[in-house]
Amino acid sequence: MRKTLRQIVAFGGGGFSMESGNPLLDDYVLGLTDAARPRVCFLPSASGDADHYIVRFYRAFPADRCEASHISLFRREQGPEDPRAHLLEQDLIYVGGGSVVSMLGVWRAHGIDAILRAAWERGVVLCGLSAGSLCWFAEAVTGFHGAPQGVEGLGLLPFSNCVHYEPGSSRRRAYHDLIRAGMRPGYAAEDGVALHFVGTELSRVVASRPAARGYRLDALGERVVEMRIATAYLGDAGTTLLLPLPEAMSTAIAA
Amino acid sequence: MITRVLALGGHDFTSRPADRAVCELMLRLATTRAGGRPRICILPTASGDTSEQIGRFYSAFGERPCDPSDLSLFRLGTRPMELRDHLLEQDLIYVGGGSLLNLLAVWEAHELSAILSLAWRQGIVLAGQSAGAMCWFEAGITKSSGKPLPGAGLGLLGGSLCVHYNNEPDRRAAYLYAVGDGMPDGYGLDDYAGLIWEGAGPPSAVTAQRGARVYRVSAGDSGVVESPLPTRFLPAPAPAALREDIAEFRRITAMRKRAGWLD
Repeated sequence: MRKTLRQIVAFGGGGFSMESGNPLLDDYVLGLTDAARPRVCFLPSASGDADHYIVRFYRAFPADRCEASHISLFRREQGPEDPRAHLLEQDLIYVGGGSVVSMLGVWRAHGIDAILRAAWERGVVLCGLSAGSLCWFAEAVTGFHGAPQGVEGLGLLPFSNCVHYEPGSSRRRAYHDLIRAGMRPGYAAEDGVALHFVGTELSRVVASRPAARGYRLDALGERVVEMRIATAYLGDAGTTLLLPLPEAMSTAIAA
Repeated sequence: MITRVLALGGHDFTSRPADRAVCELMLRLATTRAGGRPRICILPTASGDTSEQIGRFYSAFGERPCDPSDLSLFRLGTRPMELRDHLLEQDLIYVGGGSLLNLLAVWEAHELSAILSLAWRQGIVLAGQSAGAMCWFEAGITKSSGKPLPGAGLGLLGGSLCVHYNNEPDRRAAYLYAVGDGMPDGYGLDDYAGLIWEGAGPPSAVTAQRGARVYRVSAGDSGVVESPLPTRFLPAPAPAALREDIAEFRRITAMRKRAGWLD
């Protein structure tokens, strides 16, 4: 019996795309499916369906762990004939990184946006990094092309999102500026951090790196309030923090 | 201002005579527009900006008297570019083949459609093959969704276009059906056949390979009619005397340079 929980796991960066040899985030999302051999479909649209990226996906998700597949929207004559039927029968849909603007354009052209919403509502776990994180939110900060700017996502999660939220990154300043200018409140994640949403509520923040953190951003008048969220390191159960939100938040006020 | 379009039914960037003849034609159109050494930019969007397509383009034009460049919308993260400025300073914009549906969707997302329309009005040669040829018309027959089906283009040129005409019988059949069913009249282009528009008059038809044909396809009272058009044969220039090992090295270097993609 499939879970009917709607789940999205948004990586600030990480998984097989960025953390070769560190499978913690990929293991985490596989573990959310209750299947012994989960069906996992990779959507590499944001990379333009780059061959080398697809190969790396299959290496990271071998046949003894899961039933892996991918859909190339640039090569529809290959692969599943009916993307809707194929995506709806998955346990996990994994969206790769690249250009979020290009990806959303291609998805709309093939009706993938509506299919992903239907998959989410049926309990298929949705995850991804970078562009594959930004896409699930109502608004997002993309730094892919020149200066970071706001972009509209699929809107499954009614928040804004910023990825690769590294200290000193230009995206950090850009996200603050955008929130100050009226972008809705939301969540940011450093590389190695995954924001796990159940329904539209943030349920847990996990990390593949001990020091990596997730953040919640809100506007308070002219100020932006950035709260660091307690983040559970997945690597060593002995030091894992499993504190419920929001008590676990440590608060920092940014001007 | 003269507008210029070169629509090609299909070709490659190899050193075969037919491919060299096609590149020579592009170079001539671009040089005429430039009045000197031209700038030629490939938009590989329809392929998903594959290294292969970009590498082949550079291997064809890298040694010719022109300044080649590529604008890869999926790779702006590693190679930021001012889209409008870069495109409008070109003499020829070449659009590669792939998915017509994705090509238009990604262009729309990056607001490129309006820039290309402006480039056209400024007399920049708009060239392309396959999806990159159909995109300039109102409609074409695309396999973007797997099977050959009608798809919309930018509509800079009125009418429709079907590429790989006799090379892909299922595509031709879908085109004949679509024109009979109300798709605007247009043209069928075999691989190594092309149509050149320079200004407002009718296009001139060219081929780079014996047996390649250009058809006018129109709906009449008694069904859809295919009329072959007279064509001019494009001679192949002498092959460039480039050592194969050097050419190979350049192809690999170009591919490596453009391998980054992550957001």
